[in-house]
Amino acid sequence: MKVWSIVERGTAPAAKGGGDADRREERAQRRVSLEIAAKAKELGESKALEVTGLERYSALPVVGAIAAKAKAESPDLILVAATPTGRDLAARLAARLGWAYASEASGIAIEGGAATITRTMYAGKVRAAVRASLPAVVSVRPGAFTLPSGAAEPAVESIPADAGAEKLAFQRFEPTAAASGRIPLAEARVVVSGGRGLRGPENWKMVEELADLLGAALGASRAVTDAGWRPNEEQVGQTGRTVTPDLYIALGISGAIQHLAGMTSSKVIVAVNKDPEADIFKVADYGVVGDLFEFLPAFTEEVKKAKASA
Amino acid sequence: MKLLVCVKQTPDSTVRVKVAGDGRSIDASQITWAISPYDEYAVELALERKDADPSTTVAVVTVGPTRSRDALRQALAMGCDEAILVTGAAAESLDGLAVARALAKVVEEAKPALVLCGRQASDDDQGLVGQALAETLGWPHVSTITKFRPADAGPAGSVDGIDVWREVEGGHEVWRTSGPVVLTVQKSEKEPRYPSLPGIMKAKKKEIPEKDASSLGVDAGGAKLEIVKMEPPPARGGGKIVKDGDMKQTAAELVRLLREEAKIL
Ligand SMILES: Cc1cc2nc3c(=O)[nH]c(=O)nc-3n(C[C@H](O)[C@H](O)[C@H](O)COP(=O)(O)OP(=O)(O)OC[C@H]3O[C@@H](n4cnc5c(N)ncnc54)[C@H](O)[C@@H]3O)c2cc1C
Ligand SMILES: Nc1ncnc2c1ncn2[C@@H]1O[C@H](COP(=O)(O)O)[C@@H](O)[C@H]1O
Repeated sequence: MKVWSIVERGTAPAAKGGGDADRREERAQRRVSLEIAAKAKELGESKALEVTGLERYSALPVVGAIAAKAKAESPDLILVAATPTGRDLAARLAARLGWAYASEASGIAIEGGAATITRTMYAGKVRAAVRASLPAVVSVRPGAFTLPSGAAEPAVESIPADAGAEKLAFQRFEPTAAASGRIPLAEARVVVSGGRGLRGPENWKMVEELADLLGAALGASRAVTDAGWRPNEEQVGQTGRTVTPDLYIALGISGAIQHLAGMTSSKVIVAVNKDPEADIFKVADYGVVGDLFEFLPAFTEEVKKAKASA
Repeated sequence: MKLLVCVKQTPDSTVRVKVAGDGRSIDASQITWAISPYDEYAVELALERKDADPSTTVAVVTVGPTRSRDALRQALAMGCDEAILVTGAAAESLDGLAVARALAKVVEEAKPALVLCGRQASDDDQGLVGQALAETLGWPHVSTITKFRPADAGPAGSVDGIDVWREVEGGHEVWRTSGPVVLTVQKSEKEPRYPSLPGIMKAKKKEIPEKDASSLGVDAGGAKLEIVKMEPPPARGGGKIVKDGDMKQTAAELVRLLREEAKIL
């Protein structure tokens, strides 16, 4: 079994502004790249690849480079992190090679010349095991495989992007005014999410304070992104991001089925809502029935104390 | 400009999906079907272009069982101009790459300036068909877009390409394409419109031509992905719920639980 993993090189921080946020994003990307490299090693004779020479990800030059190498060296399985960029790349790569493709795998086992992949379907409402014939391209949910402690940095082989394959022209980057500058949702181990119960964008300062303490990404319900209180990229749920962090904190979110679809696979769920009947409590490990405007400052204070004593 | 939107009919987002007795498919008996949410955004984006420039025409296509006709009717009622149904036994068991091949045949016939897909279908959750369609056509694609419009018109009012807004962490990248392109849609700026009453009446009268998938030279064999098992996600709930407490105490207790019990802080 030859198993490759692709090291994600998102946007070079310099191309975005190069602030702390971009460095955080880079670190998060590095962690997922290590996770899938470790998985590749566990599954077979592994190789970690990165495509260099692009300031900014674009599908065709990256896919062109990887596909050419794959045709020459015939790996059995290519793992890509299921980040937004990774999923874009993986799908086009699978199509280019004509291989099987499964997205957002949370488990991979090789048996009898095929890969059995665990993934969710129906907007996260069903868990499925699917058999993919090999060779295959699989995108892997960040955080699905815990990094073995002391995992060595893989040797990464660099291949140049196929610049001639580009058919699009990059114009500019338009930053979102309210973008959080925190680590991307897809890769975060802790997510603090706010819903309509927060009453307005001005109240996000409280949410951000807690998120910063916890090193968390910010999430939101669709009621919040639709109202323009928070940028769309923070939306969690069926039509937003699917997240599977170790800790998901839902503040003033009712728990509509479409929201639950995006977060019920989180390891631990904390919900704060003043309505004891709110559906979010049906999936919560810890629930607080009460006014979030009273609870949140007190909780942030307690977390601070706990961190200080740790 | 002619636009083509690829839509899939999937369970309505409010439906609780249940696994069927065979343990490898869903129980379709209780399901209401709808246009997959991202595809609905794609329809909305296309119709917004038509609002801005009435010379634009919008066609929708789906590959699927005959019930998918309802999804096409819904799209027509929203304001799309024409609909194409690719159906037949083969259409029901196609995998993503085969669907893309069938769609490519339709694109080659319809010759749209660009094709819109959803970011992913809300049944298989794959996010493959848009990219695979672009690959089959030899076109570029841009995924997770929220907006597109003709690039600034040249001196003679000519359109010099299309600008596309791709949602990424922290903002949008704007890409320009000069030729045909496949776009996969993350969201529209406005909510998808509801069908209007006259729209519904008009849609009822429209003919929806049907093509047989096998007549497009696409066969169902050789699917590379097979569902082995389906099950509901692990049950949750039975969590500790604190009511009516003093919020300071509750907060302290929660921090303790997260540290000592959940071992997470
Ligand atoms: C096709 C489709 C796709 C969708 N996709 C998504 C999606 O991806 N993500 C998503 O989130 N939604 C999605 N939705 C929308 C979803 O149905 C809900 O409308 C939305 O999740 C509600 O957001 P909310 O919980 O913030 O608001 P509400 O439902 O209005 O809930 C607000 C909650 O805050 C509580 N509250 C109010 N004040 C306080 C206070 N002071 N203290 C504590 N609690 C308080 C209330 O009790 C209430 O439970 C989708 C809908 C459709 C039709
Ligand atoms: N059977 C189909 N008929 C028409 N369009 C489809 C079909 N399957 C997928 N698509 C389009 O491709 C997108 C991605 O689908 P998927 O790869 O199945 O997640 C969908 O949002 C649709 O726009």
